[in-house]
Amino acid sequence: MLSKDLAAQVLEEVLKRGAEGAVVRLQERVYELVVYDSGVLRSYSISTVRGVGVRAVVGGGTGYAYTSSTDRESISRAIDRALSLARVAKNYGRKSFAPVKPVKATFRVEFKVDPHTVDPQVKVDLVREVNTASMKRAGIVSAITRLGLERDKRIVLTSEGTEVEVEVVGVGLAHTAVARYGAVIERVGDRESYIGGYEHIERRDWLKFAEEIDDLAIKASQARTPTPGTYVAVVDNEVVGLLLHEAFGHASEGDGVVAGASILRGKVGERVASELVTIVDAGLVEGGYPVPYDDEGVPKGRTVIVENGILRGYLNSRDTAYELGVEPTGNARAQDISFDTLVRQTNYYAEPRDWRVEELFEGVSYGIYLRGRGAMGGQVNPSVGTFTFSIGPSYIIRNGEPAELVRGVVVSGNILETLKEVDAVARDLKVTTSVFGGCGKGGQTVRVGDGGPHIRTRRIVVGGG
Amino acid sequence: MIHEVVERALRVASRYGLDEVEVYAVRSSTTDVVGTVRGLERVVSGERVDVGVRVVLGKRVTVQGGMVSRVEDVDSIVEAAAKVVRTLPEDPNWVSLPKRTGKAPIEGVVDPKLRVPDVGYFIEVVKYLLEGAKDIDRRAYTSSASVHSTYVERAIASSYGGPQIDERTEVGVFINVKAVDGTEESGYYDFYSSTTLSRLNPEELLSRAVEVSVKTLGAKRVDTGTYEVVLVPRVFASVIQALLVPAVSAESVQKGRSPLAGKLGSRVLSESLTLIDDGTYPGLTGTRSFDDEGVPTSRKVVFDRGVLREFLYDTYTAYIDRRESTGNAIRQAPYAPPAPWMTNVLVEPGSGDLQSMVRDLRRGIVVYSTIGEWLSNPVSGLLNATVTNGIYVEGGEERFPVKGVVIAGNVYEALGSAELRLTATVESFGRFRVPAAYIPKLTVAGR
Repeated sequence: MLSKDLAAQVLEEVLKRGAEGAVVRLQERVYELVVYDSGVLRSYSISTVRGVGVRAVVGGGTGYAYTSSTDRESISRAIDRALSLARVAKNYGRKSFAPVKPVKATFRVEFKVDPHTVDPQVKVDLVREVNTASMKRAGIVSAITRLGLERDKRIVLTSEGTEVEVEVVGVGLAHTAVARYGAVIERVGDRESYIGGYEHIERRDWLKFAEEIDDLAIKASQARTPTPGTYVAVVDNEVVGLLLHEAFGHASEGDGVVAGASILRGKVGERVASELVTIVDAGLVEGGYPVPYDDEGVPKGRTVIVENGILRGYLNSRDTAYELGVEPTGNARAQDISFDTLVRQTNYYAEPRDWRVEELFEGVSYGIYLRGRGAMGGQVNPSVGTFTFSIGPSYIIRNGEPAELVRGVVVSGNILETLKEVDAVARDLKVTTSVFGGCGKGGQTVRVGDGGPHIRTRRIVVGGG
Repeated sequence: MIHEVVERALRVASRYGLDEVEVYAVRSSTTDVVGTVRGLERVVSGERVDVGVRVVLGKRVTVQGGMVSRVEDVDSIVEAAAKVVRTLPEDPNWVSLPKRTGKAPIEGVVDPKLRVPDVGYFIEVVKYLLEGAKDIDRRAYTSSASVHSTYVERAIASSYGGPQIDERTEVGVFINVKAVDGTEESGYYDFYSSTTLSRLNPEELLSRAVEVSVKTLGAKRVDTGTYEVVLVPRVFASVIQALLVPAVSAESVQKGRSPLAGKLGSRVLSESLTLIDDGTYPGLTGTRSFDDEGVPTSRKVVFDRGVLREFLYDTYTAYIDRRESTGNAIRQAPYAPPAPWMTNVLVEPGSGDLQSMVRDLRRGIVVYSTIGEWLSNPVSGLLNATVTNGIYVEGGEERFPVKGVVIAGNVYEALGSAELRLTATVESFGRFRVPAAYIPKLTVAGR
């Protein structure tokens, strides 16, 4: 088992061998996945990630080395490698880190039923039941059902005296249905995840969850694609989450800002969104993925990025905070020990206002109601300011009401334009996370949460068939 | 270590009365050098060993594994797999693990300079890429540049034989260039990706990135409508990967998730399009002597002048169709179950070059980069990609740069057109060797 004692020994050794500063990260992650595909158990897999990562600072140069082997010799080699890389790096540029107060803390997600101790048979039976029921539905030609169970334990010790241990347990079920109507085949997938134990899986009616997805896939296969162009849009909670994450979140990451690669650089204090828009990144929020401390051991509190439409700051690690002359925000995160940290979002969402959701549709004679169920994700180029994401089957709005369903909807926009067009924000805040994926950047994926209330935007580019 | 891991796992498995066992072990060593406009940001190096154990009892199958810290860690992986497999339902489609294992002859997959990486050289490359942009055009600067190098050793053994061992190297050099002129900004991302450093030309990489970045300054949206579109090789490759590759996976076909099901022998694409999957092609990063379940890789024509000739198979899907695997078993991670996927994709060249293709445009967009093309829907065949760097061309003349528009359409109509054209010049990068493509008609959502 990996322990704080081991981390302390590694830290002592790095400093003894000449580092002026160091971060030692230990990680043990178990991920269990049961997959049923079209009535057949496709896989039951359990995988683990375990190892040690060392960041050493020598003469202002930093090096990071990792090893999955935890024997004394391998760890010793990793320490030497981190030190030698730091010595090479110092000849090409020195890095400084914003000072932090040392923290000693432990955070563990509470749960009733440890998901990894539940009888495998019980898990397989659940996934089979959901999947086979779906395959029996008329119009469904294929269905994939996945049960994901995860425990991720991270220990971070730093030369400043920080000692942090975080253990997150999460569970979820994902279902994708493929429906055929004539020559048209369409797919709709959705997932629901909970932070906590297997009790969340036991409480939910998953047959109903899958049935709703199946019905939507069947209806979508009979729907047309939208006419491409610019629309007034009412955007649901999930799509708002995607939109904020892609359209704003990445551009507000401090590493892109200090590298001159973000379109938001130099814009603190400027209007970047409608005055109705307030955006925050918070480590702990209901429905989100808990990040109480980042992988540099810095507490992740609540960071206001946009306040009433004005850009207030960025997300920072210790080194980008130093560069920008601000406090670190606890956003240095790594996928696992085989990577050094990057600046990442945690739970990024918009604050609610006081509109009722129905009021957002009023007065919209023609527009689109963008829906998140079935959304595939998105991408942004923060330096150009262009973002895009694929969303689920959505509704054309006619005379203030959601009317016909459309499929294959993709939206696109510009970071500095889209949020200025928001003219209504509802009161129904909802943040979600997923144990099946996350946010990708620099070849790393981390778990995130996102969301917000329903909003309305006056113009957004919609692509489609 | 991986040799020991594989042999130990097989030995341990023999205690549990299993019918079939396969052990796959991968040791990867990585070295990354990352720089930004601030200078050198990170130098990262390390090694990890990952193991996947697939065990079979009758028609019950499971895969377990992960990163291992010590050789003995495989004992608990095998034990867990042997325990779980007994609780599982039978898979009626299961026949056996691959029995026809072996190695295809390949070359050009190991660069000695990457097996033992020269960090100093990587830093020099990153430094040049970071500092050289302004000398080419004063409006341009490099916001980030990086070199990622990997050395991989793999071992696989099963109840039917082995271990088989191979090795390969891989290198990626990435650059983000920004151009700023007054209030106008643009950015362009380019890369070099290969098994060796032999074709790396940092000067050429930088000058191309600067050129596209500067020429797309001041980009705007075009009006919504139908346009001719030229996709440069890397964009064409990303469309192939997002829409055609999933559709020719035998798994998608068997599970009703491919629009190409039942179309073997039919013309589904333009006559000018011949697409080959080749896991043995020198220099491309998908090249291996055997696939991720030990079957020799091979070369196969998937679309022959537009006619669908072959799907991609692993052993499991091959048994379902009563045929042999095509050597296309790929695992997303060493401890994930294999599934059929592309190795390397080669598209046969056409005629002429990119410049003449652009000159022939009446009213079109030359697309240098997109985002979100991977969000296209391979089940329905609907392409959607947002242009981040493009040039609007009218009457053969470049008029103005374009960004923020969505190109959309059914990929089989777009690539099935009799007027589809490909260039004679092809580019090799990552798992692709492809030309540029001219598509006569695509919908563009813009203003």
